[in-house]
Amino acid sequence: MRVRLRFFAALREQMGAGGERTVRTGTTVEALWRSLVAERPELAAVPVRFAVNEAYVEASHSLADGDEVAFFPPVSGGA
Amino acid sequence: MFRITRSPIRVTTLVRAVGDPAAGAVVTFVGTTRNENAGRRVVRLEYEAFTRMAEREMRALATAATRRWPLRKVAMAHRIGLVPVGQASVGIAVSAGHRAEAFAACHWLIDRLKEIVPIWKREHFHGGRVWIGPQQGGPRPTVRRRASAR
Repeated sequence: MRVRLRFFAALREQMGAGGERTVRTGTTVEALWRSLVAERPELAAVPVRFAVNEAYVEASHSLADGDEVAFFPPVSGGA
Repeated sequence: MFRITRSPIRVTTLVRAVGDPAAGAVVTFVGTTRNENAGRRVVRLEYEAFTRMAEREMRALATAATRRWPLRKVAMAHRIGLVPVGQASVGIAVSAGHRAEAFAACHWLIDRLKEIVPIWKREHFHGGRVWIGPQQGGPRPTVRRRASAR
């Protein structure tokens, strides 16, 4: 199945804005992140939060076809 | 009104958005960009948002606040892009029947916004710029300087 990837802030600068990726049915967000880390070992120590279809999810969340998965650092908005 | 915007934030717009004949109080919070952080002189700040999710999360926070306190209306706006020092980066307005709940909800909303609304801040200072918050794996953000720095 296909999922869309999005990255923000420091992660966006390392990974680009995003793209599409084919994953096995039932892949978890954590497994997808680990596959990205396997390709880019410098990501291993990066603190990351996950959102699917614009809502926070746990790392154990299972993905569905067409999901948009966002990876981003802990937030730092405000003043 | 829940908005991520590249335009300056106007308090009057937020206050108007929470106007309600049953309100006896309107409390506003405006966060402005400060000229120093951690001993470093900041020349401007830059904000990036996951815009649609950020607007959803702001709306969800307002709903949660309205369950917790008897509020009339809530409005929230956060600026993105480059924001010069001294300008508003975030604004919140809360109307309620009485001031106690309006103050409490406004305080809670800005604290929660900073914890969960997907917006990131980058400080620009003399000789470099750095994302704020734990982003680079270490206990402190890594400062990446331009080749010309110092």
